[in-house]
Amino acid sequence: MTDKAQVVIIGGGATGTGILRDLALRGISAVLVEQGDLAHGTSSRFHGLLHSGGRYAVKDKEAARECIEENLILCRIAPSCIEPIGGLFVEMQGDDPEYTEKWVSACAEAGINAEETDVQEVLKSNPALSSNITRAFKVPDCAVDGFRILWGNVNSARKHGAKVITYSKVTKIHQENGSVTGVELLNKLTGEKKTIECEMVVNAAGAWAGEVAAMVGLEVNVIKDKGTLLAFNHRMMNKIVNRLRPPGDGDIFVPHGTITILGTTSQTVDSADANKPERQEVLDLLKIGKEMVPEIENFRLVRAFAGVRPLYQPGSSATGRSVSRGFALLDHQQMDGLNGFVSIVGGKFTTFRLMAERTADLVAEKLAVDAPCRTAQEPLTDPVPEELLKRGKKVFGIPGAKKAAERLGDDFARVIEEAEQNAEKRQVFCECEMVSRAEIDFVARDEDCHTLGDIRRKTRMGMGTCQGTFCGYRTLGALNKYEKFARSHREYLSVFLQKRWKGIRPVLWGQQLREAQLALGIYCSLFGMERMK
Amino acid sequence: MNKTNELALDNCIKCSICVTHCPVAKVTDKFAGPKQNGPDLERFRLEEPLAVHPSIEYCSNCKNCEVACPSGVSISTMNCRAKGEYVAKNGAPLRDRLLANVELMGDFARLMPGLVNWGGKVKLFRELAERIFNISADMTLPQYASKTFYELYRENKPPVSAKKVVYFPGCYVTYNTPEVGLALVKVMAHNGVEVLVEEFNCCGVPLIANGLLADAKNNARNNMRKLEKYIDAGYQIVTSCPSCNLALRREYGELFDMEKAHRLAEQVIDVFEYLQVLAENGELKTDFKHLSLTVGYHQPCHLKAVGCGVPSKGILDLVPGVEVNDLDAGCCGLSGSYGFKKEKYAISQEIGRQLFQAVKKKGLNRVITECGMCQLQIHHGTGAEVYHPIQVLAEAYGLGSDIK
Amino acid sequence: MMNKKADVLVIGAGLSGLMAAAKAVEQGKKVLLVAKGMGALGLSSGCIDLWGYDIDQPDQVCSRPLQEIDKLIQVNPHHPYARVRDVLEESLDFFRKICAENGSPYLENEGGNWLLPTALGTMRPTYLVPASMAVKSLEEADKILVVGFKGLKDFYPDVLVANLQRNAELKPSCKLEPVLVEVGSEELKPAALAHRLERGEIIDKIVQQVKPLLSPGAVVLFPPVLGSSGGAGMAGRLADELGCPVYEVSNIPPALPGDRLQKTLLHHLKTRGVEVIIGSTVTTAHLEGNRCVKVTVRCLSGTMTISARVFVLATGSFLGGGLEADIEGIKESIFNLPVQIGAEEWSVQEFLDLKGQPFNKFGIAVNDHLQPVDESGQVLVKNLMVTGANLAGCNYPIEKCGNGVALATGYKAGKLVEVVHGE
Repeated sequence: MTDKAQVVIIGGGATGTGILRDLALRGISAVLVEQGDLAHGTSSRFHGLLHSGGRYAVKDKEAARECIEENLILCRIAPSCIEPIGGLFVEMQGDDPEYTEKWVSACAEAGINAEETDVQEVLKSNPALSSNITRAFKVPDCAVDGFRILWGNVNSARKHGAKVITYSKVTKIHQENGSVTGVELLNKLTGEKKTIECEMVVNAAGAWAGEVAAMVGLEVNVIKDKGTLLAFNHRMMNKIVNRLRPPGDGDIFVPHGTITILGTTSQTVDSADANKPERQEVLDLLKIGKEMVPEIENFRLVRAFAGVRPLYQPGSSATGRSVSRGFALLDHQQMDGLNGFVSIVGGKFTTFRLMAERTADLVAEKLAVDAPCRTAQEPLTDPVPEELLKRGKKVFGIPGAKKAAERLGDDFARVIEEAEQNAEKRQVFCECEMVSRAEIDFVARDEDCHTLGDIRRKTRMGMGTCQGTFCGYRTLGALNKYEKFARSHREYLSVFLQKRWKGIRPVLWGQQLREAQLALGIYCSLFGMERMK
Repeated sequence: MNKTNELALDNCIKCSICVTHCPVAKVTDKFAGPKQNGPDLERFRLEEPLAVHPSIEYCSNCKNCEVACPSGVSISTMNCRAKGEYVAKNGAPLRDRLLANVELMGDFARLMPGLVNWGGKVKLFRELAERIFNISADMTLPQYASKTFYELYRENKPPVSAKKVVYFPGCYVTYNTPEVGLALVKVMAHNGVEVLVEEFNCCGVPLIANGLLADAKNNARNNMRKLEKYIDAGYQIVTSCPSCNLALRREYGELFDMEKAHRLAEQVIDVFEYLQVLAENGELKTDFKHLSLTVGYHQPCHLKAVGCGVPSKGILDLVPGVEVNDLDAGCCGLSGSYGFKKEKYAISQEIGRQLFQAVKKKGLNRVITECGMCQLQIHHGTGAEVYHPIQVLAEAYGLGSDIK
Repeated sequence: MMNKKADVLVIGAGLSGLMAAAKAVEQGKKVLLVAKGMGALGLSSGCIDLWGYDIDQPDQVCSRPLQEIDKLIQVNPHHPYARVRDVLEESLDFFRKICAENGSPYLENEGGNWLLPTALGTMRPTYLVPASMAVKSLEEADKILVVGFKGLKDFYPDVLVANLQRNAELKPSCKLEPVLVEVGSEELKPAALAHRLERGEIIDKIVQQVKPLLSPGAVVLFPPVLGSSGGAGMAGRLADELGCPVYEVSNIPPALPGDRLQKTLLHHLKTRGVEVIIGSTVTTAHLEGNRCVKVTVRCLSGTMTISARVFVLATGSFLGGGLEADIEGIKESIFNLPVQIGAEEWSVQEFLDLKGQPFNKFGIAVNDHLQPVDESGQVLVKNLMVTGANLAGCNYPIEKCGNGVALATGYKAGKLVEVVHGE
């Protein structure tokens, strides 16, 4: 099979999907190719923090400025993906008061609104925090849902004619006479091969960017930096809390929907797939987190997870056009004489749109398209109409409707309709995260949805307290009518449970150990699944 | 324990035992069970306090969820607070305000108890009440006594003794069954204990059950004011009603975070617990007469929730000729005002069916139970005579003539 | 503070605690049973698993569980069964007698294991089963009809059918058919469904929808919702109406068979005069020398103490709350007894590892009188016996022996109250 497009983007993370949308809005035909599910990599394995820039204010003013600008843009264009809960920077006993002063003036210079606030007030509304806080400042940090932003990008791009191909690995990049001419794909689920002819390839593979560049014999030096994070069972505070000191490990708490995330560690690893959280990392994080939340051990951890951050380091052989200290856009025509190949590396989630804009500018220039970037103005998701929300509340309850509306965006209307027509679909399948059968069923029908894990990422099914023990089984049952989910129940369910287990194991004590014993009671004692065929 | 985790939210492992043991969810689909508005939505309420599912209206506040929970989660408290949020936002119907305001009803009824009791039996009035207020026309209304317990107490003051306790009679004894209160005073006097009383307010449980938390807290404050001097002086505060007992021992601290609630909890005691202590110290009089009485025993849900077991059992076992059969048939279904509501009457009766059947199957025409509302419901469902165990004890001491 | 007194205090309302109380009260003791909550028995299959698979050939279902346990004791003398082998048969008889007396008979399969279908379509071995679950000769069925309910979100007949075909030995000509019956409700909870069946409201509806699908030689499988109390009454009634055998299969919680067993045994205890307090947590033990004199109990409404002559610790493993793990380590929650770990890691990488997760084996070591002992075999608390999932050395989810160990150890503790008190 052969397809055609002007541009092929490799990598379905925030940057890749951002580029896809940007190009689509400029009228450039593009296909995005992703080796797994969208957002399975670093874009779903971070804090979920939309930086105000405060964290970088002292060390890197340019990055700080980029952050606050992008923060304001995203809040405007994607309000349904963002919880504008605000952040705090807290100075604690023993922290350097001079750094605080430096930080305050740095924020002012970068245009970050940092306002000092009463410590007693902060402690009153956030009783989990330590009374050793000496000063506190409010900043416009937000909690952001990486999945939703990505899906917003993809849905918007699709509306403008773009295509996404998931679970497909690029096996070869064709070149003729010093120019890229196409890519060859292998579908990891079906084994099918496919070729896409194109004029340009954008390497937005993040931590995998080096491997992609190697396919055309080039070197892109990406440092793979593993960061482990912890997810707590409930909201421990109502604002994002950063430690006011030079950025280090484990000094940010982000309350995110029903949970709280604490992170992160930093460790150079060999492989982009090295995302297995280790118990020692968990213990390290807790030790640091304890300074800000003294009773941290009494809060239940539901799991640990890790992402691999791609940090760009210009190699000796490559002198990239460093468009910012945060990220780099590599024009391989200029650098290596290969036409039609561009790499975008480094950066952070908060600035994904800017990275996409710069990349698309370069691509457009090369394709001689002079349409301007519109991603800073065009809303990424339309707000869900009040009337729909009201209908939603009737079938899913207040939080169920609100969360589903945020996740589904435009598709919310269709899910509501199905639930209204079919009472059975109103059942709450994931009781921890309030995900309805209607939503799961809808998402499962998506052509890019192949595993229980895909459904989980798109809905939060299985991301709550029980970590999929109950809802995984239910979802399997309800989806049996779709052939793609009926092939091997044993495989679908055990792969799902195994992936949950990977994150549970490093935090296996207290209530999570009880939960695990219950899960084994169900799947081994009641079902004998360990011997299932 | 940390503040945000005080209800042991993190302990929930989603096992659903609470749902299996919910008597309401068993008989109706209208209630999703205690887990939904308990630990499930509690996680959402930390972000959005209004995250309450409307099915909360069907929670009867029986607390079986919390008793059954193997993880120590304060499920019932979460549900009570959620209902409070819901009512605060959406308001409560006048009917609920009336039914929950037990004192107001009692004070009104005592103006002309005969007329009220008569009116409560006239079908036409009941149908009117059902149409206007949605108060079930089928449920037997409590009978109001011609004199309140407080009036009768003043007329029959017990002899002064060095050993004193304070009695918190609760509304049902005050207005409807003052004879239970009198039996208690006599039994205690017989054992050399002087019972003091104060005109307390309703403990607040009916208000809590209807989501009227601010009113309930007000009652709690008033009662605390009246109890304070007794707490400070180290008096034990005796109850005969399990719901009042639970309110004083638990809700004032857990729901209302009241100062001194902890000390109050330590000093509140069920009358039979008190008698058990006497018995253990060899101070309980055992001059019982032979009664030849066979009764069924129903353990009220709120007594289960108090967690002191069945204190009346040990004492009644001492009375010759009394045979107590544990009915062990679950919730009676009335749950205070719950079963009087038109839309919940059928649910309430359906919950109680198992208990009614147990009474009938054993061929019992006398039943004992500590809770006034359970007494009413069992009588309504079976026609059996229902007494408070203290009345049996008074009878055994030759102090009463209530048992027919 | 209130103090209660008893001859025997049983802590825990799971199977082992209930058995201990039943056996102790039979000997005329004043028994008090206190439990934190309704515990793991209600979450279990309601069947008594004794021993599931052949020790030498772990992929073979074991045909003679009692004999296999003899073998087990030879190769693993630290398994809890080694402490109770002397009473195993009589404990099973005692259990069956109580259940039968209370209208919930449990059936044996001629000394062998039953091999029963689950909601997932797997086949699980078990030893004693409630009559409603005792599926006989599935391999001879000409048709297996699996009935689910529209609105019951935890049971999917088509999943059961799809996997039963792979996991059970059936006649090649056997037809499997799933059906979802409608009983007029959008969301059904198992307890509510059971209640409606008992009220007779929906039996006609079910029969109308199921009967036309039956053919000679058919067997009908239902989710475990056929009635809220024990006994095969409802399954039997449906079988009569449908004219073919009707059974329940085991399913995830909230499922009723475990709950029914718990209710049956609790009812038995209450009618025998055992005082039962559920919802109250025993927090601390008070020892004088190496004897326990009383315990402190935290109720919903405050604290009290209970003194007794003999104590039975039946608080379960982590799930039940008998063992508590924090980042630092694991402790037994009331007596602070030493917990035997005997593994380097608490868990292994594969969730469904065939050897099981090590943490399930953690627990208390005991002697033949079920008294807790230290490493040298010295008794730590003389008038205390430890039972059920509290005990070290058994990986019940994999070995399929959870309720069996609970039953036998609970029974033995109840039997030994006099002996242990005299020591």
